[in-house]
Amino acid sequence: MAESRVLLIERDEERAANLQVVLRFIDYQVLHVSSAADLQLADRRPQDWLAVIVGSDADDAAFASFMEWLKRDRHHPPLLVPPNARDALCERYRLDVSACLPLEQPPRYSELNELLRRAGLVRMEQDISATRLMGPTGNSASIRSLRRLIEQVAGHETNVLITGESGTGKEVAARALHDKSLRHDKPFVAVNCGAIPAELLESELFGHEKGAFTGAITARKGRFEIADGGTLFLDEIGDMSLPMQVKILRVLQERTYERVGSSRSVHCDVRIVAATHRNLEASIAAGSFREDLFYRLNVFPLEMPPLRERLDDLPLLVESISESMRHSGRGSMQFAPETLHALRSYGWPGNVRELANLIERLAVLHPNATVKIADLPQRYRQHVVLPVAAPVEALAAPAATPTELSPKALSVEAASTSPAAAEAAVAGPAIMDASLLPADGVNLKDRIEAIELALIRQALDQAGGVVAHAARLLSTHRTTLVEKLRKYGLHREDLREEQRAS
Amino acid sequence: MTSRLKTLLIDDNDAFLVLAKHLLSAIEQIEVIGFGHDGYDAVRLAAELQPDLILMDMSMPGMGGLQATRLIKAQDAPPRILIASHYDDAAHREHTAQAGADGFVSKQDYEVAIARYVEKLCGEREPTHG
Repeated sequence: MAESRVLLIERDEERAANLQVVLRFIDYQVLHVSSAADLQLADRRPQDWLAVIVGSDADDAAFASFMEWLKRDRHHPPLLVPPNARDALCERYRLDVSACLPLEQPPRYSELNELLRRAGLVRMEQDISATRLMGPTGNSASIRSLRRLIEQVAGHETNVLITGESGTGKEVAARALHDKSLRHDKPFVAVNCGAIPAELLESELFGHEKGAFTGAITARKGRFEIADGGTLFLDEIGDMSLPMQVKILRVLQERTYERVGSSRSVHCDVRIVAATHRNLEASIAAGSFREDLFYRLNVFPLEMPPLRERLDDLPLLVESISESMRHSGRGSMQFAPETLHALRSYGWPGNVRELANLIERLAVLHPNATVKIADLPQRYRQHVVLPVAAPVEALAAPAATPTELSPKALSVEAASTSPAAAEAAVAGPAIMDASLLPADGVNLKDRIEAIELALIRQALDQAGGVVAHAARLLSTHRTTLVEKLRKYGLHREDLREEQRAS
Repeated sequence: MTSRLKTLLIDDNDAFLVLAKHLLSAIEQIEVIGFGHDGYDAVRLAAELQPDLILMDMSMPGMGGLQATRLIKAQDAPPRILIASHYDDAAHREHTAQAGADGFVSKQDYEVAIARYVEKLCGEREPTHG
C-alpha cells in the first residue's frame, strides 16, 4: 500500500540536511544514506520507498548493485536525479524516462512537492490495480448474458451506458469492454464524476494551462487527453452537474474540447463508456440530467445484476477474489463451507465490492485461517438458519451424538449443550428450528439449501468422503452430487482434511 | 450533545500524532481514545475500541489509509472515517471517496476542517441524542 518514505542517497551532508528539512515539512519520512553501500537491502523491498532521490556523485559500484536490486521490482519507485546526470543514468541502467525524473539542484520546494505528489498517485494506482478484479465473474444466466453483450458491442465504437447498483462491478465491465475492443493497447482511463468536487471536475477532465486559476502552477493534461486513442470511463455520470453535462455533450458531438484557460480546441479520439447507479430517466424527469446527453450515452445499455440475484456465483467470486489477494500478497483465508452457505442468506447491499472488502478484512484478522460463521461480522449472520439437527461444527465431527444427528430440528438451548454446537450458537441469534415458519417469514430457497447442505455433509461423513457412496445414501446421481458440492463450495480436499482432523 | 466522539488517530509520523492530539484538544466534542501507526493498527483498533470517528493518514507503510478504510467499513456499525493528506487535489479526493471514507481533510487545514466536520456531524446526531 501507499508509502510516505523517501530514500535519499547523498554524499554531501549539508545538502542532505537541507533536503530532509523540506521533505519532513511536506510530511515525508526520509532515510538518508551517504552511499548505496550503507543500505541493508536484504531487509528491504523497493516498494518501501515512494521515491529515491539520488544526489550528485552517487553512482558507484554499490549504486549499480542497488539499481540491479531495485529493477527486479517492475513497479519500483522512480529515481529523482540531477538533470545533468539523467541521460547517463537512464542509459547505463536501461531506465524508462518515466522512471528517472530530473530534479533541479538545489531542489525547489514546488518541483519536489509536485514530483512526489505524482509518485504518490502512481503508487495509489498500482495498489488499486492490485485489488482489481477481472471479470465479470460467474456462471449465472445474468452474467453469461452480460458477457455475451460485452462481446457483441466491444468491437464497435458505440457509446455504452452501464447501469446497476453500487459495487456491482460496473468498472469491471467497462474494462472488459476496453480489453476486447480494438483500442485495447491504448489507455483505459477511469474518472469517478461523483467523487471529484464539481469545481475541480472540469480541469480534471479537460486539463488546464499554467496560471488558468489559483494553484495552477504548471499546465496539466486532463483525463480526455490521457485517454487519447483509448477508452474514457465516466463513472457516476448521474452525479455530474448540469453545466458539466453540457460540456460532455459537446465533446460527444464535436469531438473537441478546450483546456481550462485556453481557447485552442483539442481534437479527441476516445470511446466513452459511462456508468451510474442512478435511474437516469427519473433524473431527466426531475430536471437534473439532460435528455440529449442520456440518448447520446445510452446507445448500448448494459445492466449489472445485483449480487443477491446471482448468489450461485458466490463460490466463484470468492475464489476469484481470494486468488487476486494471494497473487498481490494481500493475505489469504478460506471460508468453511457452512460460512459460505451462510453468506447466501445475506442481502449484499454493497454487492461484489462489499464481498471483496469482507474477504480482505477477514484475511487481515484471520490470516490463512478457515473462517467460521462465528468469525463473520454480525450483519452477515443475522439471518443464518441452521438445521440444528446437524449443527454445523458437529457435522464435521463423526463423534457427534445420535441426538445431534437426529432428523428433527433442535432448539437453540439444545444446540448449546455441546461445545461444538455452542460455538455454532455463537454464530448468531437466529439459529432456529428449520421446520418452523418464523413470524416474519422465511427465504424458502435458502432454508431448503441449508437442509440440503446438512444432509450432504452427513452422507459424505458416513460414506468416508466417497462421493459415489454418499450419492447412494442420498438416492441421487454421483454427478448431481458433484455439482452440488461445487455449488456449496465443498472441496474433496476439505472433506479429507476434516476427516483427518477428526 | 450527550457524548463526545470517541476518536482514533492513525498516522505513521509520531510527531504529527502529538501535534494532532494537541490541536484536537481544542475541539470539545472529540475524545482521543487511541493511536495507531498504520492501516493494520487502524483495522485492529477499530474492531477492539469501536470508535465513533477515525482520523487517518492516507499514506502509511504496510497498509495505507485507503485500504484500511475499505476494511473498516466492512465491520459492524463502522465508524466515520476522515482521510488526511498533505495533498489536496481532485485525484486524492477521488481516491478517498472511492475507498468509502466519509470525508477528506487537507493537512494544511487540519484542525479547522475537522472542527467543521465534527460540528456538522454533531448537528446530525443531536436529535437522536437529545
